[in-house]
Amino acid sequence: MFFAGLDGALLDGAVWGLGAALLLPALALLLPAYRSLLGHTLPRALGVAACVFAALLGARLLAGAASPSLAWWPGLPGEPFTLEPDALAAPFLLLFGIVGAGSFAAHAPTGTPAGAQARLALHVAFALALFAVFTTRHALLFLIAWEGMTLASAALVASDLASARARSAAFVYLALSHVGAAFVAFGLITLAALAGSYQFDALAQAWAALPPAQAAGLAWLFTLGFAFKLGLVPMHVWLPMAHPEAPASVSAMLSGVMVKAGLYGMLRFAWQMPGAPPEHWGTVLMIAGAASALAGALYATVEADAKRLLAYSTIKHAGLLALATGLAATLAANGRPAIAGVALVAVLYHTIGHGLAKAAAFLAVGEAAHAAGSRDLEALGGLARRMPRTSLAALAATLALCALPPFSCFPGEWLTFQALILGFSSGAGQLRLVTPFAGAGLALATALSVAAMVKLYGIGFLGRPRSAGAANAQEVSPLVRRTLLAMAAASLGWGLAAPWLARALGAPLAALLPGFDTASLTQGAGFALIPAGTGAASVAPAVVAGVLVTAALLARLWLRLVRGARPAVRIAPSWSGGAPLGARMQYSALGFTKPLRLVFEPVLHAQRELEVLAGGTPYFARRYRYRTAVPALFERHLYQPFVQAVLWMSEQMRRLQTGSLHLYLAYLLATLVALLIGYR
Amino acid sequence: MVTALFVLLQTALLLALAPLWNGIVSALKARLQMRRGAPVLQRYRDLARLARKETVLSKDASPLARVAPYAVLGAAVAICTWTPVLSTHAGLGFAGDLVMTVALFAFMRVLLALLALEAGTTFGGMAASRHLALSALAEPALMIAVFTLAIAARSTDLARISAAIVATPNAWISPSHLLALTAMWIVVVSETGRVPVDNPATHLELTMIHEGLVLDVSGHHLALLEWAAAVRQLLLLTLVANLFLPWGIAESLAPAALGVALLAWCAKLLLFAIVIAVTESVTAKMRLFRVPEFLGMAFLLALLALSSDTLLR
Repeated sequence: MFFAGLDGALLDGAVWGLGAALLLPALALLLPAYRSLLGHTLPRALGVAACVFAALLGARLLAGAASPSLAWWPGLPGEPFTLEPDALAAPFLLLFGIVGAGSFAAHAPTGTPAGAQARLALHVAFALALFAVFTTRHALLFLIAWEGMTLASAALVASDLASARARSAAFVYLALSHVGAAFVAFGLITLAALAGSYQFDALAQAWAALPPAQAAGLAWLFTLGFAFKLGLVPMHVWLPMAHPEAPASVSAMLSGVMVKAGLYGMLRFAWQMPGAPPEHWGTVLMIAGAASALAGALYATVEADAKRLLAYSTIKHAGLLALATGLAATLAANGRPAIAGVALVAVLYHTIGHGLAKAAAFLAVGEAAHAAGSRDLEALGGLARRMPRTSLAALAATLALCALPPFSCFPGEWLTFQALILGFSSGAGQLRLVTPFAGAGLALATALSVAAMVKLYGIGFLGRPRSAGAANAQEVSPLVRRTLLAMAAASLGWGLAAPWLARALGAPLAALLPGFDTASLTQGAGFALIPAGTGAASVAPAVVAGVLVTAALLARLWLRLVRGARPAVRIAPSWSGGAPLGARMQYSALGFTKPLRLVFEPVLHAQRELEVLAGGTPYFARRYRYRTAVPALFERHLYQPFVQAVLWMSEQMRRLQTGSLHLYLAYLLATLVALLIGYR
Repeated sequence: MVTALFVLLQTALLLALAPLWNGIVSALKARLQMRRGAPVLQRYRDLARLARKETVLSKDASPLARVAPYAVLGAAVAICTWTPVLSTHAGLGFAGDLVMTVALFAFMRVLLALLALEAGTTFGGMAASRHLALSALAEPALMIAVFTLAIAARSTDLARISAAIVATPNAWISPSHLLALTAMWIVVVSETGRVPVDNPATHLELTMIHEGLVLDVSGHHLALLEWAAAVRQLLLLTLVANLFLPWGIAESLAPAALGVALLAWCAKLLLFAIVIAVTESVTAKMRLFRVPEFLGMAFLLALLALSSDTLLR
């Protein structure tokens, strides 16, 4: 076979490419003459190349290639560290590769040369750790990579050290990530101790030998740990803080790819390793997913910070992923593998679909916000005329994130709705009770996220600029521009070609649900998605897009005939009732979603404050000052008491630690006496 | 070949009749209010005149403003190709289903809201903001109401749902069906901008939602949007007529059956026109912040319809 050695070469290429990109900036310190080349251009190019290799490897594995293997002996007792990507990792590798390549291509140096180099090096380290998380089959290396991923990304979140907000975001991110990582580490080390090995296969065997109650407990331990990374409510609080603080190219990887590492962990350790998750696991995950989708969408609508809005939208889509995963697990546990397969295809398809759209959105919005000098929607506006290419990419990405056809998030949502309806009709177990509410929650979340996305693009990019920064915004460099448009095009393509691409998910699906055939999802020339061969319903995004474009062209032709030689349009200033046209005449981001804020007031508990500054007499107000804020309820009611309890405990501890040497010696003596008595 | 011809004819029928329904409602309303009113065909004249008029675009508008009107009409046409209008052999049924239909309605709504924000005027922003808030509640209600039927038919394919209701004669008496129909009607009233949610006959700032969206659009762009809005309204009414009350719909492409179906469809639409005209003449518009409660009721009714399947069986 010509391709026999190809997969191994791709794996080697990806690892060594990223490794070299990580080491080159160090070399640049020794050779200052080549600083720009070694510290920036070459590592970036290597990063793009390595990510392309990773994407190709993912595509090859999806096509059914055998897993290549790369072993490395760190000189420790035990087994060597192995990288051996399998079919389950393939869709995640494909996503990592595409988003990673886009992210490195769009990485722009900012600040001092040394700082820019350090950021790029951290970016590469982050990518390398993420790659290792998806490819390793060695529990210890998995934990090391997981930790490396968290540390590198936390450093990138805090890379703007002058910003107090960034520092505190990095702290919350680190703290919560480590709580999650502790669950995962505890589970993996317990299993490894039982198995006497770190290899995933051995861990799976040890798991199979456990009594059911312990096995279920272990599954929950992993799920809880990975839910922190996936950003499920109420473990999500770090996500809207940390994701927006990183540079745009890093935010794209955080929201597009790293969140999916949480899903990967759940699928790998709570589903594939024990063979099948218990039924109640699926039900709980469905409820948590629906709650996350609703909370994410609702908070996205009332958010005025462009990047935080996108981060909340990530929580909405993570909720959808959890919902579909839970649905698939419940269906599989109830003996409905055909419908479970539909839900799992939805999970895997949406993983990539959302990753591509969210990466494009973060890159485009991040670049636009950088050009305008603010992330606050109240200071943006008018960018569509000043940065047309960037805005086009942002428009495509926001339409995709609304789950509109024919963009990349639509097929996943469509398949989820199909699985919900078929699952309800199948009448299995608790499904009849949960699916109507999950479906209603998902429909409401989708409609709310439409409002959020229109706010993002409509207020942020259309109309007139609301600040001097936005008025003077300049289009980004050609390379970044092309990268943005390519990412947006990838998002469109992933939606248009859904019926063909969904078939390619057969290999990872077989790892989770043996005996499901993805070809049963599609029909004929692959036009339409037909779930599970039930012939229930079908959609063909490409045909719909074709009809839409044809109709639009016919309408154009008709108007050409009717209007004859009339000029297409006349350009004139907006009509403002005769008053001078100001930027403040436009709706603000705050006002735009005020109706929704009022409707959901019982949930949001928004705070308002109106201050009237009267001059002289109270009857003539000089100025009004209006302030409104949506409080972070989860932080206040869930995390605050916990933090306070910890602080209270440490306060009590301080009574023991007075600084007096004599007292410490007395503690030693007391401990010694106690031990002597206890172990007599 | 027959299917292709049928799809073209059905789409042409919907596009051609869409402005007429509005004209009929206006004429009926005028009669009820003892006015002579505009002729029934006035809407066609309006469209023709708008198509020829000069089109003015704001200096602040982006290229999206030139493309979006065409895309909005294109999306409406796409839905026409698979909606069961006369027959449950709905032409392009393989291309779109209920979820695709709702998603394309959302697509039209997003583009309309973005268009309203293009010129950077207060009215545009106000209308877009209200429109999105209301449809954020109406859209899930619509989806869930039709899901109730989809579950009975075990399919989200619109033609299959219609056929399934025809095949089970007494299914429509079930509480879930009636609840879903009520929810659906509320949604249709809201989405088509009718009293008591919106008033189609006014440009007053306090009341306007749908009219406000297109306030800064003129000329042939406005013609496209007005036409698309009419088609969208007719599609929503057709969904009520042929999913919830599908009697008379043809189950084949035989000419006689299609003729009966055409009569039945027109009769149902006329009935809806009378109901709307009477409602608009005897009720007042709701305060804007009462409307979310109204739509919330539709959402809850739809959810009740969906879960009553579980509770009652």
